[in-house]
This record gives sequence, structure tokens and C-alpha cells, in this order.
Amino acid sequence: MTEISEYKDVWVFTEIKDHERVDECALEILGKGREIADQLNESLVAIVLALDAEQYIPVIKEHGVDKIVYMSHVELKHYHEQIFTHLVFNLVENHKPSVFLFPSTEAGDALAARVAYRCRTGLVSDVLDIEINEESGLNLRNTEAFKPAYGGNINVKIITKTRPQMCTITRGTFQKQKSKKKDVEVEKVDYAYDTSNIKVKIVGTPTRKDKPSSKLSDAKFVIGGGHGLSSKENFDKLFELAKLTNGQVGGTRRPIIDGWMPEHLQIGISGEAISSELYIGFGISGAIQHVVGISDSKTIIAINKDPNARIFDAADYCVIGDANEILNGLLDYFTV
Amino acid sequence: MVKIFVLIKQVPDTHNLQINRASGTIIREGIENVINQDDFHALEFGLNLKEKYGGEVTALTMGPPQAESALRECLAMGVDKAIHVCDPIFAYSDTLQTTLVLKEVFDKIKDYDLIITGTKTSDSSTGQVPYQLSEALDIPLLTDIFSLDIKKNIVACHRNFGHESQNVEAELPVLLRVGRHYNEPRHISLLGIKNAFEAEIEMTDHACLNSPDCIDGNMKSPTRVTKTEKPEEMKRKKEFLKGSTSEKVQKLIEIMQGHSIEKIWIGKQHL
Ligand SMILES: Cc1cc2nc3c(=O)[nH]c(=O)nc-3n(C[C@H](O)[C@H](O)[C@H](O)COP(=O)(O)OP(=O)(O)OC[C@H]3O[C@@H](n4cnc5c(N)ncnc54)[C@H](O)[C@@H]3O)c2cc1C
Ligand SMILES: Nc1ncnc2c1ncn2[C@@H]1O[C@H](COP(=O)(O)O)[C@@H](O)[C@H]1O
Repeated sequence: MTEISEYKDVWVFTEIKDHERVDECALEILGKGREIADQLNESLVAIVLALDAEQYIPVIKEHGVDKIVYMSHVELKHYHEQIFTHLVFNLVENHKPSVFLFPSTEAGDALAARVAYRCRTGLVSDVLDIEINEESGLNLRNTEAFKPAYGGNINVKIITKTRPQMCTITRGTFQKQKSKKKDVEVEKVDYAYDTSNIKVKIVGTPTRKDKPSSKLSDAKFVIGGGHGLSSKENFDKLFELAKLTNGQVGGTRRPIIDGWMPEHLQIGISGEAISSELYIGFGISGAIQHVVGISDSKTIIAINKDPNARIFDAADYCVIGDANEILNGLLDYFTV
Repeated sequence: MVKIFVLIKQVPDTHNLQINRASGTIIREGIENVINQDDFHALEFGLNLKEKYGGEVTALTMGPPQAESALRECLAMGVDKAIHVCDPIFAYSDTLQTTLVLKEVFDKIKDYDLIITGTKTSDSSTGQVPYQLSEALDIPLLTDIFSLDIKKNIVACHRNFGHESQNVEAELPVLLRVGRHYNEPRHISLLGIKNAFEAEIEMTDHACLNSPDCIDGNMKSPTRVTKTEKPEEMKRKKEFLKGSTSEKVQKLIEIMQGHSIEKIWIGKQHL
């Protein structure tokens, strides 16, 4: 058994998206990682597994890392559960980081959970903040992660007693920090994996999946709809407004149940979190499960006929009135 | 015969959750416990597979004694069997401990073809159990599936993975993770209710398992909650717009323009 004090350094799984760019969320996490590494007096290390990984090094260097550890191989073009888990677990075994942070993406969530199991360590998902817990003894300073629980009704603080201390973090939680260290160390690790072990066999040629046309989490202007719009016909007008204003439609759980909106447009605890410049919510009551998903928006406008609607507590501008009338008014203006 | 296991968890009904504002803890009294929403979809998926391929569906949960009611509900929905994994030493398990226990349970069951899980639980929302169980049992986990076919011991399915849509094959046993858009969970029938009360629930405790001493929810969970808090109240302007509807619309347009949202030219429409 390795002593906890032997684990050192803050690692960030610096995911490469669509074999073409560094994941934005990973860059944001490097910003926070820098802070934690400074407080712990340890190094910040970016872990990169990709096809032609060298091309991403310059960008990563601009985000405050002390070191980049990378593997480059054609089998790393896409995330593969068995290959990535094996390789990343080996890196952990060999280097023993004290903290390991992952972007909460399809690959990041999966990889973090698998690696945590192999390390028999804890994993805190979707953390809101990370602090250093000064009380937990000697030189074994624990990081303390903050995360929402019970549908966002409470936040819990969690420490991890084992190492590495692992977390996943969603997009928009932290901010990118540009800073460049003088001598960033770059280490290439050789790729080795016996692909005859692979259990899920791909048959035929995969097709590129139609990505949902909306990228809610990235949208600058989000138009939200709720049950208060009262019909599919009314709800459709949101899409019209979106087209005219270059916005994106999202909504609460209700319009999905009502069949007015596809599931991938849900905003909230079980859907997307947005961080738009402007969010306008039409006929939304303001259930906490929805509100947690919009709370990172810079400006929030809410329209509800009920003066006591909870959504108003989460809004900058409140309009008491009929959501359909307001929507029609806006459409009149934006339709030339 | 396809042996299907559906993993379910009982969670507090978060819909009307009350918080003790002073302590930031959940007021447990009067809170109803319900089956985690995702897990209803997992149950429905399991029952559909049984209707198509025959076999047997077992609902399985690890949870405190009161989780029995969740299993009775599964029986009422039409599952054939229920297993309740329950022991004081499993209490306070975090995800890793839960996975370690479930691994022991399935090592004991041995004969399983499909294990179906939900995506996330609403009380913790970790979403880790499906991946970790895939590691623990060393069997593949298939997610984001939209069609599935079982031939002999091979499951063939169409799934989304990353930005690809793939046809894949894997040998049984496999884990399947189900989301909320998969199906509409069925309602409970009267016959189901009768069965639910008559059926025997199989109990599994620590002594039944070939448990190594790494299992101890309270002492050996790597994560520990140190504090619970009510989220900060949001500090928003909360400015009510006044005037007639058209005045309100006008004010909204100004706010939108203040955020650089302008009319965009999308071409002549009805000409
Ligand atoms: C575990 C769990 C997870 C959940 N996850 C999510 C999630 O991720 N996202 C999410 O959104 N929800 C989620 N929900 C559901 C959530 O609790 C609410 O039920 C949902 O957000 C309510 O949607 P709504 O505001 O559209 O509908 P309602 O609550 O029905 O509200 C409609 C509102 O419209 C107003 N209204 C009616 N007519 C008009 C009119 N003509 N003009 C103006 N206003 C009008 C009413 O006053 C009311 O306030 C979850 C629930 C659970 C239990
Ligand atoms: N205690 C448990 N007993 C049985 N199944 C569970 C348990 N905890 C989680 N699961 C399963 O794992 C899924 C994801 O849960 P979680 O990882 O806790 O968010 C759930 O939808 C269940 O199918």
C-alpha cells in the first residue's frame, strides 16, 4: 500500500473533442487546477490521449500547466472505454497523482468512474467548487468538493479519504485562466494496448451521428418554454423566435411530457445546464430542478401570469402577464 | 432462457422536498420513498425484452429494509422475482462500496445475461454505478442504445457513441443502461398487485456473500459527506416590468438589444 502522502500533483484529463480540439471544459478545469496545485504546492499536469496529440500541446501550454503527459496513437482517435481506462489507470499507478479532475462529458464521466473503481478510490461528480480542507490532518490536506444533491435542493461537501481524489466537473463551473509557465515539461508515454481484448465489436462502418442541431450549453441566447404556453402550436412559436434571433430553444420537463419538445432540449438537473448571456423563460413555474440549470445565465427574464411564481425569485426582469401575448408581440417585432 | 436483472433504487421523492433551513438537512419525516425515475424505464425495458425473447426478469436493489416496498412495486409491474440486498453493514455505502457489494451479489448469482440499470439516481445523481459495475464484473456496458437484438449469446445493437452511430455486437452477459426517452413505463395491473403481495422476496445479507472485508459502507466508503447546506439564495435583480403588454414587449426588446440580440436577415419569406 502506498502512503497517502506519497501521492502528488493535480492532474486534469484534458480531453480532445472530435479529434480536432481541446475540450473547453477541460481548459476551464485547468484554471481551477492551477489554483489547487498552488495551494498544495504541487504541479499541475495535463493528461492527453489522442491521435496526433502533439498538435494540442501549444494550446494547453497557455493554460497554466507545469507539465503535459501525452500519448499519441491512431487507436486514440475516439474515446474507447477499455483502451482509455487501461492506459489512464496505468498512468495513475505509475505516477500517483493526489487529485485527478475530469470534464463531465460522455467520455469524461465514463472514464472517471472506471478509473476510480480500478483505483478503489472515491469519485465526486458534477462538483460546484473545490477547496482545500485544512483540518484533515498533518500534510494530508484533503480537497473538499461541493456538489448538489437531491435534485439541487441541497449542496453537500464531500472529502475523499483515499487517493487520488477524483472529481468530474461540468462546463461553465470554472473559468479559463490564460497563463504560461516558463518551462513546461512535456512527456510522451508510449502507447501499448492489446486490442484482441476488445469486447464490444463494431460491425460495419459507423456513420456520423446527426448532432442535435442545438448546442444549448454553448448558446448565447436561450429561449425557454414551459407548460404555461399551453399548446404545441404556441410552443412552436419559440422556435420561430429562435430562428429570427439566432437563439436556441430549451425548456422544462413539462413540454417533453406534453410532447411539444424533444428530450435533448431539457434544461435543468436532469438535462442541460446553460450559461447564456440572456435567458427568457415563457410560462415556467421555476421548479428548483429547472432553475439550477439556468442559474449561470448572465441575465434572466421570466414571464408568468402568476405574480407569485417562483421563477421570479431567480430572474432579473419579471413580466407578469400572458406568455403567449408577449411572445406574439416579440414575434411581430422580429418578423420584418 | 434470458436471465434479466434490473437494478433499482429507492430514493426520497425530491419533488416536494423540505429543507430545514437552519441545519440545511432534509426533513425526512413525511417524505415518501419512491422508485428512482430512471429505474422505471429500466424495468419497462427489461419487461419488453422478456416479452420478446422469453426468460425471466428479476428486480434487484441494495437498500434499507423499507426498500422492500419498492421491490413489491416492481413485482406489481410484472417482474418475476425480487432480490433485496440488505444488511446494516451496507448502510452509508457510497458508489464504490455499492459497486463492491453488487459485484459480490452477481458473483454469487453467476447465471445472468443482461443487467439493466437506469442512468442516474435522483438522490445522488452520480451516474457512476453502471460504469463501475461494468469494471467490477468485467462485462461491457452499452449506453445510448436505440435498437437491440439477441441471438444465442450475442447481443447486437445500434447505439450512439461519441459522435458516431454504430452497430455493435457483444457476447452476453452485458450491462445495458437505459434513459428516460426509451419507453413509457407501464402501469400496475390488479393482477400485478395480487402477485406483488404473495411473492416471496429473496433476501441477501452480508453473510450470504463471499464478502471480503473491504465491504463496510460506513467505515470503508472512500468519500464522506462533511457538510450539507442549503444552496445560496440567488441574488437577482427581480425588477418587475410595468405597463401595458406592448410596453412590456418594448422593454423586453430593449433588454434583448442590450444583449446584442437583433433581427437577423433570413431572406424574403412569402414571395
Ligand atoms: C427528479 C426530478 C428531476 C427533474 N428534472 C427536471 C429538469 O431537469 N428540468 C426541468 O425543467 N424540470 C425537471 N423536473 C420537473 C420539475 O420539478 C417541474 O415539474 C418542471 O420544471 C415544471 O415545468 P413547468 O414550469 O413548465 O410547468 P408548471 O410547473 O406546470 O408551470 C407552468 C407555469 O406557467 C404559468 N402559466 C400558465 N399559463 C400561463 C400563461 N398563459 N402565461 C404565462 N404563464 C402561464 C403558471 O403560472 C405556472 O407557473 C424534475 C423533476 C424531478 C422529480
Ligand atoms: N443501491 C442500489 N441498488 C440497486 N441498483 C442501484 C443502486 N444504486 C444505483 N443503482 C443503479 O445504478 C443506476 C445509476 O445510479 P447512480 O450511479 O447511483 O446514479 C440506477 O439507476 C440503478 O439502476
